[in-house]
Amino acid sequence: MKDKHIIEILDSAPITTLSERELNEIRAHAMECASCRSAYEAARISTVALKSRATVVVEPSPFFQTRVLAALREQQAVESVPAVLRLWRSAKVLVSTMAVTTAALAAVSFMQPSQATPASDQASVYSAYSVIMDQSADDQMTYEQVLNTIYEDDDDAR
Amino acid sequence: MDLDLARQAQDGDESAFAEIVRRYSPRVFSVASRFFRQRSLVEEAAQEVFLKAYTQLGSFEGRGSIEGWLTRIATNTCLNMLRGAKRRPEFTVSDLTEDEQSWLEQQSASTGGEQPSVENSLVATDLADRLLSVLSPEDQQALLMIDGEDASIKEVAEATGWSESKVKVRAFRARRKVREAMEKLLSRNKRADSAAD
Repeated sequence: MKDKHIIEILDSAPITTLSERELNEIRAHAMECASCRSAYEAARISTVALKSRATVVVEPSPFFQTRVLAALREQQAVESVPAVLRLWRSAKVLVSTMAVTTAALAAVSFMQPSQATPASDQASVYSAYSVIMDQSADDQMTYEQVLNTIYEDDDDAR
Repeated sequence: MDLDLARQAQDGDESAFAEIVRRYSPRVFSVASRFFRQRSLVEEAAQEVFLKAYTQLGSFEGRGSIEGWLTRIATNTCLNMLRGAKRRPEFTVSDLTEDEQSWLEQQSASTGGEQPSVENSLVATDLADRLLSVLSPEDQQALLMIDGEDASIKEVAEATGWSESKVKVRAFRARRKVREAMEKLLSRNKRADSAAD
């Protein structure tokens, strides 16, 4: 054992399961072999850490039983409703909203065309181009006309 | 008796199921505590275990104990919960807290056998969690049960449903990974110490 590396032994079983004789042999080898010494030290410290970790156990709270039973009842209540109904319950708001929107769109589409035609004609008369570019004298008030209009309003007010 | 209780619960007797929860929740919590340390996560896992158990009551044939059957459900539930979690690729000495560094120094100097204080146990537990986080949940489970709780290969096989040879392979691989990670930590910690001096 003195000439044999001990790493395989350290990895094959927990250090705590090794006999005192085996441990003495490991220690004797580790004294002369630096790599096995650091492996043994690491294995020993890892075991201490793992033992500490194993002692950490969360205890059930006094309300745990109640919590599980409540969750079970909730689960049973959900399962007792047929799948189609459950699907409808979760989707009914979405489906209703979609139906109302579709109906509104349909109504707008069918009712607008009769009014839309003259409106589009008017739109073509007062297109952006004509408003900006068509500045013919016929459509524009002269300065005097503007003043007359203002003073007429004032006279009426008196 | 276990079978009677299971049959009554299966027939819709809520008090029988409540008795199963009351009787075996310490065992289920102990299994879940291997995987999680936060109380909320342990409770969540334990609740999931009992809800699963309720739906699978019909599959309990009474050949083994309810405790063993629940242990297996608990192990698989926790493993499933952990499978999605991200693992730490590597654990470096810079991740160590001062307490952890001094604990490692203390342990290097000692020959073992001393009873750790409560504070030291907490530090050791944190360090163990960090070391375990480099392993897969399955390897964590095998190593923690065998090296931490002194469970036998057979006990781990029963709790997990794996073959004994699979348990041995997992434990061997996990032990080596953890030892190598610890070796790296110790050598870097010593180097950091000598640089500070």
